[in-house]
Amino acid sequence: MSDRQDRMLRITGYSDRLSVRPGEAITFYVHSEENEAYEAQTVRLIHGDTSAEGPGFKEEPVEAAVNRAYPGTHQRIDAGSYIIVPHDARLAVESFTLCAYVYPTLPALGMQGLLTKWNEADGTGYGLFIDENATLCLRIGRDPGAEERVSSGRPLFRNVWYQVSAAYDAESGRVRLVQRPWVTQANGGFGMSLIHPLEDTTAEIEARVSPGAPAPNACPFLMAASVAEPDSGRSIFGGHFAGLAEPWPIPIHTHKFNGRLDRPKLANRALTQAEIDALLAGAGVEYLPLAARDPVVAAWDFTANIRDNAASTEIVDTGPFALHGRGVNMPVRAMPGFNWTSDYMSYRHGREEYGAIHFHDESVDDARWQPAFTFTVPDDLKSGVYAARLRIGGVESAETEDYLPFFVRPPASGPTARIALVMSTVSYLAYANDNLGVTSPVAQLLTARAPMLQPSDLLLNKKEAYGLGTYSTYRDGWGVTVSSALRPILNMRPKYSHLFSPSVWQFNADLHLVDWLEAMGYAVDIHTEEDVHREGVGLLGQYRVVLTAHHPEYVSERIMDAYQEYQLRGGRWLYLAANGFYWVTEFHPDNPNLVEVRKGDQGSRAWTGMPGEYCNAFDGKHGGAWRIRGRPMANLLGVSFTSFGLTQSSYYRRAPDSERDECTWIFEGVGRDEPIGDFGLIGGGAAGLELDRADLELGTPHRAFLLAHSEGHSDIFVPVTEEITYSSRGQLLTGTGETNPKIRADMVYFKTPQEGAVFSVGSMAWCGSLSHNGYDNNVSRITRNVIDGFLRDGPLP
Amino acid sequence: MDHETDAHGIPLTALRQDYAFKAVDDYNVRMYILPHLVDPESRARVIAEHKADPLYSPTRPGEPAPIYSQVLVRLIDKLRVVQTAGKHIIVETEPGREYTIALLPATRGETVVLTEETYATRGEADHAIFLKRLKALLASYGIEM
Repeated sequence: MSDRQDRMLRITGYSDRLSVRPGEAITFYVHSEENEAYEAQTVRLIHGDTSAEGPGFKEEPVEAAVNRAYPGTHQRIDAGSYIIVPHDARLAVESFTLCAYVYPTLPALGMQGLLTKWNEADGTGYGLFIDENATLCLRIGRDPGAEERVSSGRPLFRNVWYQVSAAYDAESGRVRLVQRPWVTQANGGFGMSLIHPLEDTTAEIEARVSPGAPAPNACPFLMAASVAEPDSGRSIFGGHFAGLAEPWPIPIHTHKFNGRLDRPKLANRALTQAEIDALLAGAGVEYLPLAARDPVVAAWDFTANIRDNAASTEIVDTGPFALHGRGVNMPVRAMPGFNWTSDYMSYRHGREEYGAIHFHDESVDDARWQPAFTFTVPDDLKSGVYAARLRIGGVESAETEDYLPFFVRPPASGPTARIALVMSTVSYLAYANDNLGVTSPVAQLLTARAPMLQPSDLLLNKKEAYGLGTYSTYRDGWGVTVSSALRPILNMRPKYSHLFSPSVWQFNADLHLVDWLEAMGYAVDIHTEEDVHREGVGLLGQYRVVLTAHHPEYVSERIMDAYQEYQLRGGRWLYLAANGFYWVTEFHPDNPNLVEVRKGDQGSRAWTGMPGEYCNAFDGKHGGAWRIRGRPMANLLGVSFTSFGLTQSSYYRRAPDSERDECTWIFEGVGRDEPIGDFGLIGGGAAGLELDRADLELGTPHRAFLLAHSEGHSDIFVPVTEEITYSSRGQLLTGTGETNPKIRADMVYFKTPQEGAVFSVGSMAWCGSLSHNGYDNNVSRITRNVIDGFLRDGPLP
Repeated sequence: MDHETDAHGIPLTALRQDYAFKAVDDYNVRMYILPHLVDPESRARVIAEHKADPLYSPTRPGEPAPIYSQVLVRLIDKLRVVQTAGKHIIVETEPGREYTIALLPATRGETVVLTEETYATRGEADHAIFLKRLKALLASYGIEM
């Protein structure tokens, strides 16, 4: 047995945007694992599925000045969320008190910084930590290299709130360290609320260390981390850091904390317990008598700038010096605090109880790499799916080649086609970097096979998934709520086989449709969901026909609204997908490269939201499945998510409505009894992966036609959990493919006002069958019939 | 009996070690899975059934969907959910041509260790993993395969 880790991908990157118009610039950031030089080539991507049973990989080189060789540089990823408060002389205290409420979610993970002005490189400064023994710990740096510690001696338990404080008197060297469980009926969520005996986790330590001030340093004050190297060469500015007057340098951080903080405060003398209680009684200093305010250096109020949303990265100091901070790597704001009663399920109704911020050591908002090159899109470049292709030494192999995809829209002057294809960029972000092949035993049940990793998955794993995506949980068990485009997304690539599919999924599967449209000779404009979010029906309404790709599962409210408006205004829409328009998703108000998903407690989901954590930080509205917001997907699509089986596929049979006068044109050239799509590149059939069915009780329009349905799904196909109230053996509740008639894809067609229409296939495998037999097959035929019929002027039959 | 405690002197109870889950899982294996695997002939039938269709196949019109026998379903579901540390998986080392057996780490970020064992198809690699997991399961019950 040998370590053959050299099979890992050695080059990757990302861009500053996914959607770009002619004349606009897009900047790429490249990491070369071993500092090897690489060649960049701009390409148009046509077909990304490398299966020998299909048309094979197709790309087209694009002439560009950026196509050349570059020196490669290894670029770090500094994951882990924390708060930074820039160095200020008033933070260089001699005597001090640090206090807060803290909810550790992985106290046994090793040293974790809570409130620190600490430089690990030279051991200077001071800080309140959780130490290697899972106990609360005060560290005071003396001369570089010397350090004194006082530990509580008692372990902190997982998912329990504590009041913690450390008071140090520099003149006497006296330390008072307090670790008090602070448990109420509801504040611990799923953590225990009965702690008996309390002594197991309670400590009030009086100790004496050397007198004198901590050795000063020029480090920033950090919450949820400490400084490893003061100068990382990186800074925060712009985007979701809107409001900063200038870039703030950030350190390389370490001792990353997993858990929550609430009401952190700093004073410049050793306070008594009564004084600490008074200081912690308010979110800021609002309840503190004026006479008691003198020692307060900073009192950060995590509720201060929560309003309709809690998206701001600014951390407001209500103390006298306005020592405001910023949250880096998107710590999760507006989480239930130490005082959460469950009276309010949204911070919009009870923001004073949502003062906690949750930190995770794996989160990433932006890789912050040095730029490699900038491509300005030529005015005459046709709209399409493009990529910067990177090859170490010009070598094409899975270890030396990566693609950084982007989408070129038509010029701002107007459409260049009558058809628009909207790429599911929000879903690409939601599914980013799941790493589940490495971490999830359950994935093997869902996919009915052992996972297969590719060289890019090995790199992804080594980098701890570059910040994960919303299909993963952080190591403390909380689901990942925010996903960023500003880091490599290694499962958004051509040539990539996805864990959730026998072959391809998401971006690479969507290229099946891009290729077919090209092969059929259709002129098509490419847009992204971010564009639809921003421009609404103004964008969609320019097109006679709009297509969504194979899995537009995650959409914002404005995207939902845009399609609804498009329907009402005569738009003609092909939904060649399943499980679309399903999850409430929101863009960060200041940065469209960040999206947020809260999965709630209903819906077929990768994780369940914890108590009280249902509302998006980015817009303050209830997250989870759109159906619980009263917008079930069948309202728009005529079909509703019904089943999934991430395994081999099946085929459709025509239904009687397909013979109605309004519908026969769709089946021109297709026999009444011929199976539809018993072939294809996704599981060997057009009905597969995820399936939708028509359901009048879930919003399917009353005059919708059932054109066809699938049959023959295996026992890996299971019903969606949102329809299971009680589990039982048997067909209608939890029965699998061979017993449950709700496990099927329905092909549905209905008309909308002003001669509009919707055609839905209810399967994620449909587009994988388009290219079969040189594009001459009944899936291709039906799709073509619909597009051609929709393009025709005048009323539909 | 030796009563264990953790580093802080707090009892390391059976409850904290998920004893009951493991006990029921063990019962289920002994009652419903092992009886079909002890006899070499019956075991060979289960193995042959997996080998014939290790990844399931697409459904063909007019035929039932390919579905394993109840014995194989129970066995393979048990084998698939073993914890990830040291678990066998596949790494595609030559696109579409070479599938290498590898071992998963306990946590994200640690090394995935590739072995020298390779197969020409994903199905063959999957079956090889099935055999390894089966052998380990049987060995844990003192049955040699």
